[in-house]
Amino acid sequence: MILPLEREDLKVIGYNLRNICYLVAALLFLPIAVAVVCGEFDTVPYFLIGSAIGIILGCILSFSLYTKREMELKHAIVMAALAWLIAPLLASIPIWLANATASYIDASFESISGFTGTGLTLAVDIDHLPHSINFLRHFLQFAGDGIGIIVISLSILGRTEMGSVLAFKGEAKEIGIRPSIVRTSRIIIGIAVTFLVIGTVLFTAAGIREGLDFGTSVFDGLNHSMTAYATGGFSTHSQSLLYYQSIWFEVVAMVLMIMGALNFNLHYAVLGGKRREILKNIEVRLLLFGLVTSGLLISTNLLFANMYPTTEALFRKGVFHAVSAQTTTGFQTVYPFHFMLMWPVFSMVLLSIAMIIGGCANSTSGGIKMVRIGVLLKSLGREIKRALLPRSAVMTGTFHNIDDIPLTDKIVRSAALMAMSYLILFSVGAVITAAYGYSLEDSMFETASALGNVGLSCGITSPSMPAGLKVMYMFLMWAGRLEIIAVLVLFGFVIFGLRKGVRR
Amino acid sequence: MKKIALFFLVFLFLLTPGIAEAESGRELIENSASFNDKQVTLQGEVIGVMIRGDSALVNLFDNGVAIGVWCRAEDARKISVIGDYRHVGDTVLVIGTFHMACPEHGGDLDIHADNFTVTAIGRELDRSTSLSLLTLSVTFVASAIFVVFFLRRIRKEKEKIVPWPFQ
Repeated sequence: MILPLEREDLKVIGYNLRNICYLVAALLFLPIAVAVVCGEFDTVPYFLIGSAIGIILGCILSFSLYTKREMELKHAIVMAALAWLIAPLLASIPIWLANATASYIDASFESISGFTGTGLTLAVDIDHLPHSINFLRHFLQFAGDGIGIIVISLSILGRTEMGSVLAFKGEAKEIGIRPSIVRTSRIIIGIAVTFLVIGTVLFTAAGIREGLDFGTSVFDGLNHSMTAYATGGFSTHSQSLLYYQSIWFEVVAMVLMIMGALNFNLHYAVLGGKRREILKNIEVRLLLFGLVTSGLLISTNLLFANMYPTTEALFRKGVFHAVSAQTTTGFQTVYPFHFMLMWPVFSMVLLSIAMIIGGCANSTSGGIKMVRIGVLLKSLGREIKRALLPRSAVMTGTFHNIDDIPLTDKIVRSAALMAMSYLILFSVGAVITAAYGYSLEDSMFETASALGNVGLSCGITSPSMPAGLKVMYMFLMWAGRLEIIAVLVLFGFVIFGLRKGVRR
Repeated sequence: MKKIALFFLVFLFLLTPGIAEAESGRELIENSASFNDKQVTLQGEVIGVMIRGDSALVNLFDNGVAIGVWCRAEDARKISVIGDYRHVGDTVLVIGTFHMACPEHGGDLDIHADNFTVTAIGRELDRSTSLSLLTLSVTFVASAIFVVFFLRRIRKEKEKIVPWPFQ
């Protein structure tokens, strides 16, 4: 039986949201530093206003909803779901004030796309945006999707109580690197920062080699490193990586995208000396299989469609976009319009499937996740075996994901439930998009991109798209980042509260 | 008869424009297949220059889209201002061959310039801070500081614990 909602429940949630407000307020100070370094003093007020609103909101929540009660699972999940709405709404203030988008709804879209690591953009004239605003867009992806806002807040606040652990799970991260949740959070940040530094150095070297000046190489390198590792996909240029027309940029991006799509636990295990884990891990095997298969099939399809004239071109277009889709990053070296009008439908469908499946669990990527696909495939194999063996035979099974994990019915049910919810949401999103007059394959592509937090676009996402679609894609990005369950719990919480009322 | 022929030739000459009318960047992207391997004219603002040996990649921005143009390095060196937040880049007129998927450059969409002319020099934009926005930001920051200290004071008075940010 579900206990009726109490006023105290709302207080627990609201009170714990204050830290997210303070965190966003603090995060907005980094772009101020960029503005000062780049001499863009006129943009400083945008961030100050956003930061001040975050502090005021945090203080109001902290004062008016003060409670000593500990968070329970339901509070933590609802808090995580709301945190992923409040943080983007606060961070969208500077984007809106800087006129980087045509309206506040577009700024919110941009911010949600940033925090969730999607990369679909409604920014107007990216090539002429202030460096500070461009940095903010990329930094949101690194902080939001590359690390996780709750992970950062836990790491800074150093809180170890049960509520923090639950909130951590609410953010769709179930990582057991270390027994202490704070230590785990700090390790996640450490891994992210390590890849950020490596990526920045590599992108900067590529930039200098390809003829960019040092300052632009560093700035673009830092930003692309943040979004490549975070499998976010924002770029400092409207052409995305096509701006550079460089295989070096594409290779560095592919390496970082794949690193970002790997499980944090795997990174930690490999760094700790367990190198054989790379070969044994079910997620790595499936990810590599997915990348190779989709890359080969798309390249072959493009070859038969006579789209690209050389082997290098087929590799750079086919394999690069397969990696970008599978890791749910969204960098592209093709104009969105070309996806829509020129790419063969088969390649578009393959990219959509790759976006739906996504990368590894507990990584920066989105989608259903490889571990769930692995569990479902193993379970399918077990069912087939069960049908062939005598009734008296006892079936057991395990899969290897850092440890050998028994394939229990509970795990299979959980994976199936998530995959089913995901596919239902995807179907509804694609049908609604198609109802706006877009072709079904384009609708599937763009919906898979939004829900999987990918960011590849076939041109549907633009400032001129219908407002209803903008809102729906914002919802899909948010639900996809939280792996749907947290959103369903939030809805259940609201509906239950409305039906039964809130007790004092 | 000669006079009529001469008049006809002069009339034809007057009808022919001096240079082909430039295509818009968006037109080139949206109708790439019909422009493929054909000579096109594009005029746009320079938003990026990358010199690579004897050639250079110049990104031109026109009508909301940017297109990469490959030209000689010495042409690219004529560019003095690159467009960004603080600058309007040089305007360049390019006549060249459009490639929907360039065989020479990894299948990327580009234009290989035969003729590259800087038609207008870019300029720096006035990006001074808006006074009203500055006032608004100061007001918000002052309000935030006031709220923090006001609530702390109430906390002390009521002996309630209102946690300080990040405690």
